[in-house]
Amino acid sequence: MPEIVRRPGLARGGVWLLAGIAFSFGVSCLTRALYHLDTIDGDSIARIAMLAAPFFFLAGLGAFSYWFYWASGKPTLPEDHSAHGAHSWKDYFRINTDHKVIGIQYTVHSFVFLFIGGLMAMLMRAELAAPGRQFVDASTFNGLFSVHASLLIFLFIIPVFAGLANFVLPLMIGAPDMAFPRLNALSFWLLPIAGVMMLGSFFAPGGSFSSGWTAYAPLSTSAPLGQDMFTIGVQFAGASSIATALNFLVTIITMRAPGMSFFRMPLLVWANFSTSLLVVIATPFIAASQFFVLLDRGLGFRFFDPGEGGDVLMYQHVFWFYSHPAVYIMMLPGFGIISEILASRARKPIFGYRMMAFSLLAIVVLGFTVWAHHMFVSGMQSWIRVPMMVTTAIIAVPTGIKIFSWLATLWRGIIHLHTPMLFALGFLTMFTLGGLSGVILAMIPVDIHVSDTYFIVAHIHYVLFGGSLFTIFAGVYYWFPKMTGRMFDEGLGKLHFWTTFIFFNATFAPMHLIGVEGMPRRVADYSEQFAGWNLAISISSWFLGLSTLIFLYNMVSSWRGGPRAPSNPWRALTIEWQVSSPPPVFNFDSLPTVVGGPYEYGVPGAVHAVFKAPDQPVTASSSSPTREAH
Amino acid sequence: MEAAAISHDLHEHHGPPAANHSSRVDPPMLGMLLFIISEIMVFGAFFTAYFFIRVVNGDQWFPFEGHHLPVAVAFVNTTILVSSSFTLHWAETSLKRNNRAAFKAGMLSTFLLGLTFLFVQINEYVHIGFAPHDFAQGSVFYGLTGLHGAHVAIGLLLLGIVTLRAFRGHFSPESHRGVEIPGIYWHFVDAMWIVVYFSVYVL
Amino acid sequence: MRRGNRTVIEMLVVGVVASAIGIAIALAIDWFPPAASKQAGPIDTLWDVLLIISVPVFVLVTVVVLFSVREFRMRPGQELEDGAPIHGNTRLEVIWTTIPAVIIASLVVYAYLVLRDIEKAPANASTEMRVKVTGQQFAWEFEYPQAGGKTIKANQLYVPKGTSVKFDIVAKDVLHDFWVPAWRMKIDAVPGITTHYRITPTKLGEYPIVCAELCGLGHAFMRATAHVLTPSNFSAWLKRQGAASSTTASSGGGSTTATKPDGKKLFASTELACSSCHTLADAKATGTTGPDLDKVLASASLADIKQDIASPNAEIAAGYQAGIMPQDFAKRLTPAELTALATYLKTVTAK
Ligand code: HEA
Ligand code: HEA
Ligand code: HEC
Ligand code: CUA
Ligand SMILES: [Cu+2]
Repeated sequence: MPEIVRRPGLARGGVWLLAGIAFSFGVSCLTRALYHLDTIDGDSIARIAMLAAPFFFLAGLGAFSYWFYWASGKPTLPEDHSAHGAHSWKDYFRINTDHKVIGIQYTVHSFVFLFIGGLMAMLMRAELAAPGRQFVDASTFNGLFSVHASLLIFLFIIPVFAGLANFVLPLMIGAPDMAFPRLNALSFWLLPIAGVMMLGSFFAPGGSFSSGWTAYAPLSTSAPLGQDMFTIGVQFAGASSIATALNFLVTIITMRAPGMSFFRMPLLVWANFSTSLLVVIATPFIAASQFFVLLDRGLGFRFFDPGEGGDVLMYQHVFWFYSHPAVYIMMLPGFGIISEILASRARKPIFGYRMMAFSLLAIVVLGFTVWAHHMFVSGMQSWIRVPMMVTTAIIAVPTGIKIFSWLATLWRGIIHLHTPMLFALGFLTMFTLGGLSGVILAMIPVDIHVSDTYFIVAHIHYVLFGGSLFTIFAGVYYWFPKMTGRMFDEGLGKLHFWTTFIFFNATFAPMHLIGVEGMPRRVADYSEQFAGWNLAISISSWFLGLSTLIFLYNMVSSWRGGPRAPSNPWRALTIEWQVSSPPPVFNFDSLPTVVGGPYEYGVPGAVHAVFKAPDQPVTASSSSPTREAH
Repeated sequence: MEAAAISHDLHEHHGPPAANHSSRVDPPMLGMLLFIISEIMVFGAFFTAYFFIRVVNGDQWFPFEGHHLPVAVAFVNTTILVSSSFTLHWAETSLKRNNRAAFKAGMLSTFLLGLTFLFVQINEYVHIGFAPHDFAQGSVFYGLTGLHGAHVAIGLLLLGIVTLRAFRGHFSPESHRGVEIPGIYWHFVDAMWIVVYFSVYVL
Repeated sequence: MRRGNRTVIEMLVVGVVASAIGIAIALAIDWFPPAASKQAGPIDTLWDVLLIISVPVFVLVTVVVLFSVREFRMRPGQELEDGAPIHGNTRLEVIWTTIPAVIIASLVVYAYLVLRDIEKAPANASTEMRVKVTGQQFAWEFEYPQAGGKTIKANQLYVPKGTSVKFDIVAKDVLHDFWVPAWRMKIDAVPGITTHYRITPTKLGEYPIVCAELCGLGHAFMRATAHVLTPSNFSAWLKRQGAASSTTASSGGGSTTATKPDGKKLFASTELACSSCHTLADAKATGTTGPDLDKVLASASLADIKQDIASPNAEIAAGYQAGIMPQDFAKRLTPAELTALATYLKTVTAK
């Protein structure tokens, strides 16, 4: 056998993947033969292959090698740290245990899916530009919005936050790496599996999964094969996020630098701590909801068959018990990013640091008590509605604390309007709008009218685009110098911000109106009355899509040829900025010692962390990060 | 793109500095405990299905229409599984006291008890007389016990490895994390069974 | 500090003016479809109140952001300076926790009162008019229980103005959602359970009925019309339907009748709901989801038509797509009924 298929890597992964498919074929045929069914059944083979073959692929890739050795008690390969750092672009296509490499793998991979998912939105808007049928039929259209949302949620927003945090969080708390580097690598490699599966559903007989990202039963239990690619794909994405969350929690709890007490942690660390709690507790529910669907589909279970005693609404309860916390999984890390950027770009301590931390925890706790606000019109027991309305509306309070504290952080600061700061400020206003429409939705009588209309679509995009995506853009610009060692083009960054901000509003603001006027969501065709607004929305959305290309160009060209970044271009105090850009392979020569809060801007002589006198002057600023102000 | 994460050649073969231990808990142990929280939630979701179908929907529960669950056999099976937790504990303490023979015996009996449990469970499926697709109660029954059975299988895999290694002379009174962490998992699987047994068979 | 105070006052003024303008615009927008039920009133008022509260919150955040940028933007020479090291202010934090909490509490109470109001049963609840609504892929069916256990079926909804109507909503296959935007109320049709809501129509006219829960390929086309009639017209309509239904009582798929099945009645029957999707002059059907049968069947053979009905996906009419026309007619129709239906279609469309 040629060397390349014996060495762990993508090539061997591919070969093993084929072996996995063959294996699944065998298992399927054998079992069916034993049960005296038709031996060959395409759906059954496909399902088993989707479940089993990815593990063959991962094993081929080398994701489990270490554990196999360890579990069998064989001497594990001596840790020569050759897996640390990336020496060429090829290293990003291997199992790599360096949290910085994994962070970049995650981030770039996620952005690929932003563009794919966004492109689907462009196609949807093309179809919706006018009533009647334009380009795609109902089946394709339903597939487009289902895959659009699934990719953007499970393969973009959730993992990109995990990616950014992967890169900066260990640096921020003064840890040499994550607690479980190999698990970290595995978490990343589960994602492409989920992504390929969901995208691949377009090639499935019967078309892609088309019951929305919510996949309500019994529509999903009776849909063609493509639905399985959602059902199973989500399991891989979910496993990935649980593994990462465990990793973050253990890292934050056990690996903080000396002196880094919980209340000296940067708020990004707090945010990821809270998010990880949400993930660990909530994500198993979506896994289970999709197990139910899979069992109903594959083995004829009756969970959702009312004719045999099943309960259709149970799906929605289980699904939303995950998916409401999930919307905070998609927002809290962004809150953390905003705190970092506002403090350093307004040159002021975060206003009310402790309340900022506690409000995160309050959102985590409240987040588990509101799931049924997605079910006000689902026909569930009507008494559940009012308690859920109350808890839902209460979330506005801790969120308001955060918004107002950020505003107070700006006040009397010295504001530097760099691109990350522009996105942060844009986030403050746009997320408030999205949050307000959320509070409006929480009011049951209004929700009864606007549920399942474009008003919801407007809310979704104000919180997910104006909220999450703005924080992601802000964070990517902010840490770009640290991650790549290059500066991005500030002019293009500002252009990106303004075009995005304008066309974002032009695209999604009118959706509030057409929703209240009566346009339902998830339709490929609509009544003549909404034609004007929809055309305007579609045109704006294409410009919004184009504005993203500015970002793409800026990132690619700056990464390849931007000016070298200094170690601390933002003059921030948190530890990741006290090492070179990009950071040294092992992060630190010796661990920093934390001696103060992370945001002591303007406090004379204040220091967040000091480095013990190193024997060699390797890190860029191995001396204590005294502040550059006078 | 090569620029990313430039390495300092000078330091290529030095390791990273040792991480600070900011907590007394052992990281792998903490990881396993958090993982168990996730696992509890998976069971929680299956219990939600149970709750909706049995309580909210008000469907009849076993025994009904001639379908009944072998409560007594399952009880014996429960004692088998619970006793495996004790033998496992015995194995662990023996290892710490450096009593290797007892350690090996403990691991082996734990493994065999677990295997017996799984065997009885499968035997129960064969003879129970209804299938998961017959009615929703059946789906819940097979769902919950099957989910648990899958956990037993995974636990057995881990225990099997530990047992093999025990017989090969691995582990010592000082180094027993490789026993303890699968052990915690096994205790969780046992405890979960008690909940499953009571809600599915007894109540 | 003095500059700070002036800024705050300026901000207040701008904020108040902007909020006033914002509220004025928000209230001037014609958000809703026509309000045609008693329930629409309180909901629309709640909406207005929510706008009046939301606009100032948004203005507040925006104004503070803009003024901070104006006032505290880095000036040349300040490149290395830092802002004031303010770590917090308990009084402020208490204020901005309490005020939103109070607003939220009042909103929740208000919304609860509105909810009770719109769901309140009328005084004569036991004699309230009831309509059974059935959702199925992709058509609605309405049944009016009559005295004596008879029911009248229709695939358009007719209700009298001014009486409270309670809908009992069920689904045959997957989730649907029964929504009449002009009445503001909606609820899912859920397989296995019956859901309800009530409305009191207040305006005569015709209003679209929309399926608002994704139910498959034909979701966008799952429409019908709600006709609000005067009470006297409504009873006249009921009487007409009653008379018609007593003669067509046995129409409908799969029903066991000794007599020879009648294709025309089958086509018009509400169980099969052909007319909700197809246009057919002879049956006065005007649906537009599927092809206009008068045109496309002009030269079709009997066997073709039978196949079109029994397995619609076998051949897809040009410009339409597979999966919208229900796939289960072969099961719901007896062979005799299928033949009768196809023969009827062939006769009335043949040129
Ligand atoms: C990032 C994701 C995100 C976030 C953060 C939120 C935040 C909130 N969401 Fe949203 N939501 C979604 C993503 C998100 N949502 C998605 C994707 C759906 C649709 C799912 C689907 O069906 O496909 C949805 C749907 C949805 C519904 C269901 C609608 C329906 O289907 O009928 C409801 C109903 O209550 C709701 C409410 C809220 C509320 C109250 C908040 C609150 O957390 C907002 C709190 C924030 C503020 C209120 C602003 C800041 C506060 C102040 C400035 C203080 C002062 C304010 C007041 C006094 C009011 N959301
Ligand atoms: C993170 C989440 C996220 C993001 C970023 C977006 C981004 C966008 N979304 Fe999406 N959307 C959702 C999450 C998201 N959406 C969810 C959860 C739903 C609910 C789905 C459901 O009902 O199940 C939804 C549903 C949804 C609908 C409703 C579908 C329906 O109910 O029928 C629409 C309709 O307009 C829409 C449009 C858009 C547009 C125009 C963008 C734009 O912002 C996209 C911007 C474009 C890009 C980033 C692409 C990059 C550009 C190129 C590749 C260049 C090509 C350029 C041109 C051809 C001009 N989305
Ligand atoms: C939910 C909508 C819907 C309903 C209900 C429906 N159809 Fe259709 N029908 C369609 C669509 C869409 C097509 C075109 C696609 C195709 O050929 O399958 C179609 C196609 C047809 C054709 C073939 C036309 C051609 O071009 O050859 C016939 C005949 C037909 N329908 C008859 C019926 C009859 C009879 C009924 C009632 C028993 C019925 N349909 C009910 C949507 C519907
Ligand atoms: Cu029926 Cu949508
Ligand atoms: Cu929610």
